[in-house]
Amino acid sequence: MSSDVRGEAQSQARSGDTRLRALDLHKTYELGKENLVHALRGASLEVAAGEMLAIMGPSGSGKSTIMHIMGCLDNPDRGEIWLGGRRVDNLKSRELNRLRSKEVGFIFQGFNLIPTYTALENVALAGEYAGMSRRRAKAVAAEALAGIGLGKRLRHHPSELSGGQQQRVAIARALVNEPGVVLGDEPTGDLDTATSHEIMGMMREINQSTGTTFVLVTHNPEVAAACDRKVCMLDGVVKRDVP
Amino acid sequence: MRTFRNVFRRKLRAFLTIFGITIGVFALVVMGSLAEKITLLVNGGTRFYSDKVTVSQSHEGGGFSVSPMSVSLIPKLEAMDGVQVASATISVLFDKQQGASFGVPDLINASDLRGQSLESFKVSYAQGRPLKPDDAGKAVVGSDMVRKLNAQIGSTIKVRGRDFQVVGILDKTLTIPDNSVEIPFKDAQSILYNDLPDLVKSRLDSTRLATGATVYPKPGVDPNRLAQQINDRFPGYQAVGPQKFQEQVTNSTRIFTTIVFGVALISLLVGGLSVINTMTMSVYERTREVGIRKSLGASNARIIRQFLGESAFIGGVGGVTGLALGWLFTLAANRAGESSGTEVFLLTSRLAIGSVLFAIVLGVISGLYPSWHAARLNPVKALRYE
Ligand SMILES: Nc1ncnc2c1ncn2[C@@H]1O[C@H](COP(=O)(O)OP(=O)(O)OP(=O)(O)O)[C@@H](O)[C@H]1O
Ligand SMILES: [Mg+2]
Repeated sequence: MSSDVRGEAQSQARSGDTRLRALDLHKTYELGKENLVHALRGASLEVAAGEMLAIMGPSGSGKSTIMHIMGCLDNPDRGEIWLGGRRVDNLKSRELNRLRSKEVGFIFQGFNLIPTYTALENVALAGEYAGMSRRRAKAVAAEALAGIGLGKRLRHHPSELSGGQQQRVAIARALVNEPGVVLGDEPTGDLDTATSHEIMGMMREINQSTGTTFVLVTHNPEVAAACDRKVCMLDGVVKRDVP
Repeated sequence: MRTFRNVFRRKLRAFLTIFGITIGVFALVVMGSLAEKITLLVNGGTRFYSDKVTVSQSHEGGGFSVSPMSVSLIPKLEAMDGVQVASATISVLFDKQQGASFGVPDLINASDLRGQSLESFKVSYAQGRPLKPDDAGKAVVGSDMVRKLNAQIGSTIKVRGRDFQVVGILDKTLTIPDNSVEIPFKDAQSILYNDLPDLVKSRLDSTRLATGATVYPKPGVDPNRLAQQINDRFPGYQAVGPQKFQEQVTNSTRIFTTIVFGVALISLLVGGLSVINTMTMSVYERTREVGIRKSLGASNARIIRQFLGESAFIGGVGGVTGLALGWLFTLAANRAGESSGTEVFLLTSRLAIGSVLFAIVLGVISGLYPSWHAARLNPVKALRYE
């Protein structure tokens, strides 16, 4: 890998320790024999601890792909991922499971709650996968939901909650194991302006009070403006800091 | 609880799948109860025939067809070396025109009682007393016949149109004596004689009639060897020792048992296929859920365990309901048959536990492939799945 790529990534870090670092990521999807889709072609990104970063960019530019790879859900074809000073792109699946449950929290556009589970069970599930007993996971989950204003909705199923409430459940689920990084792929994409504003404010507050690092993919300039910094992706590379 | 909700999110499908297993287990329980009853009868019979040799006129087939023979065989048998006592016996169908029946048909039994003291198969009397050699017109009633004949000590019962006074009622033995009535030898000879065609009657003396002999070996003499010697010495007669008896019955019951269990297992396998189908559909529909779980850090083992738990649950619920239905069925059928003394089903605890366990194992096996498939899903693809 060329040294100027490293340099560029380095320069993106603003201050403090680097929480998350992607170096020269490549990812190609094969859609049939001759049809290759280069989703990432040398994307590099550095996120400082406690930072809230927005990733913008046109549809198909590779935003979701880089999020999945940084969250250890997918492997890059080439390149490195560093999570809190540790290289994680070459780990065994058992260790990757541990990282997914403890070190990274995901928030998705479509909320991605399990429809048959109550709000409490959805959040508790993350605790269980991180190794808590069911009872302890429930206690922690109840606390997390109360903290996010859903203390009265514990036994509701996702279908009985508004979009904003569902996304709050998802936020509680992402945070229940106190991960260092929360990755949000268009977390406000399915919400109206007012709710979007409310959710964004909530994440910002958590970011500031707990120091949790946030990386948010968004098409919404208002959301991006509320972040510490924003970068833009284009054709599988992270282009630049957008002022 | 969560397993329950996951299974029942498609209520009709879950119900139908469970119902498939239920039918299979029901069949297994009912058929198995039949087989268990037969096994019990056979074991009882084996005990009944444990240390003696029974001799009868040889005939094709086997079973309980009756062909009369002469008591003149008795002294000839007793003249043999290893024989302590030979006792003449009569065994005829209780109803002259009895149709096909399950297991042992109802019988009229009689013996000249010469071997009574040597008999190792002790029967106990719920009420009354055994027959004595000088009894006439008296009867001892087997436990399954009590209700059918409405018998009480001292009451009169009809046997082949004749009146007999009940002097004894037997405890349950779980084998032949249960559905038989024992009457004095002379009375039985007369019934046997009346059954014969007129042509034959004229040539026979009713007081010399029997249908078989029970031979009690001297102490230390092997009844199986003795049976062989009798067969060699008296062609035209068939002597059956304990071993031969065992072979005969186990052979015929083995075939029956195999068929019975085969039928039940096939219906269970069909149930298993429907579990495979349901679980495959369920995994397919919940692809996105699998992606979510993986994004939360669920290991492959955990995903497999979850889906296996669901298929085991389907098997278990199907198994328990099948067992419950089968139990009710055998209970009802036995009650219905009680009056005629034919309790056909025996639901043993090993059969009950075995059927439910089998259903659970079947559920787990049926869930293996779908669960493994779910665990192997690529998390990102699963999350993108609509
Ligand atoms: N599983 C896949 N198989 C084939 N191609 C894929 C796959 N996943 C993504 N791609 C392609 O990779 C490219 C980048 O996709 P990605 O989802 O990262 O884009 P994005 O920036 O998130 O877009 P959007 O803003 O619409 O969400 C796209 O061209 C997409 O079609
Ligand atoms: Mg996307």
